[in-house]
Amino acid sequence: MSIRRWVAAAVTAGFAILVAEAIAHHSSAPFYNPENRVEFEGTVTRWVFRNPHAFLFVNVAGGNDEVIEWQVELGAPVSIRRAGWSPDTLQVGQRVKVSGQRSRAEGSYGVCCVRMTKPDGSPIIEGGRVEEAPARR
Amino acid sequence: MNPVLKGKITILAVVALAVGYANPQISSQSIETDIPIFDGIWNGGFSVRPVNGENVPWGENNFPVLNERALAYQEVWEEIMAPKYDCQPASSPAIQYDPYHMKVTQWPDRVLLRYEKDDQLRTVWLDGRKPKSTDFGVQGFSVGHYENGSLYVTTTHFVFDVAGFDDYNGIPSSSQKKVTERYWLEEGELRMTLTIEDSMFLREPTSYTTRWLPAREGYQLQAYDCDPEAARASVRFYPSKYK
Repeated sequence: MSIRRWVAAAVTAGFAILVAEAIAHHSSAPFYNPENRVEFEGTVTRWVFRNPHAFLFVNVAGGNDEVIEWQVELGAPVSIRRAGWSPDTLQVGQRVKVSGQRSRAEGSYGVCCVRMTKPDGSPIIEGGRVEEAPARR
Repeated sequence: MNPVLKGKITILAVVALAVGYANPQISSQSIETDIPIFDGIWNGGFSVRPVNGENVPWGENNFPVLNERALAYQEVWEEIMAPKYDCQPASSPAIQYDPYHMKVTQWPDRVLLRYEKDDQLRTVWLDGRKPKSTDFGVQGFSVGHYENGSLYVTTTHFVFDVAGFDDYNGIPSSSQKKVTERYWLEEGELRMTLTIEDSMFLREPTSYTTRWLPAREGYQLQAYDCDPEAARASVRFYPSKYK
């Protein structure tokens, strides 16, 4: 197998694992719209590392001096712990860049199935993955 | 009665009782029965089988035929009605297909199925006992036996569950739900065929077959400790049709 194929296979496998982790408890489709993607950079205010899904809360500066709190849904800690995530992975005050599928309820600020990095684009966990593939419909 | 004979009978009775207490797991099955060894931790995760969803494991070929009552429930169903958003654990036939590990412990009189998902423990009784009227529960009451290298399990006495068929299709299950499972070893895998019947909602029984692989060396089940706040956190993102 060529190096390109090995890389493609590894990336595919990594994505598949992340997708599965994201939906192990419930499907993302009823809550998040894959056609409505958002991207933001903000400051971590809370990191909830508990089953069935880990959640990250991020304050993002909006217009008119308002601050919007986004709720970022991640996989089940029982699963993502195996990939190196822990309650200490993220700290309050840390800056992160997030892009993903926006929540469906009107006026809500949720996002799932995310690509998340440090502001410089590097992985949150050294050597770790940064992106979740599109969620199942 | 002869006092000597009476004394011997008393001693024998005491010895018999003592043996009974010392071996509380005496099985109802003879030791000649072909008992497969399932003991250990099994991986049912993402790398082992397709992840559960709207069409897995219930797809085109085995999706249940619903009666009008079930269809009416589906009509009013919304995802956020599922009690899992309050940490109610998954039950049969869904928990077997959740993408997590499972630990099997075989004792002579029972088999213990410990699921990493939702910290659930099912006990399959092999000693011939029958469920009592008070044995209803989320996981029901399971009895089983070994036969020709397989473990056969029958579970009844489930409580009503508005999402008791699976996690994705809004199909409830009733106290009439009956789940039968056959476990066997093949090519180093633990395989299972599960059949569900529930005359309250399904017109006929339906089945799926799945597998687990041995967990990696040294793997231990993690506590799930479902957190009510985390379980409910995404509910507010659901655009409900009810106001």
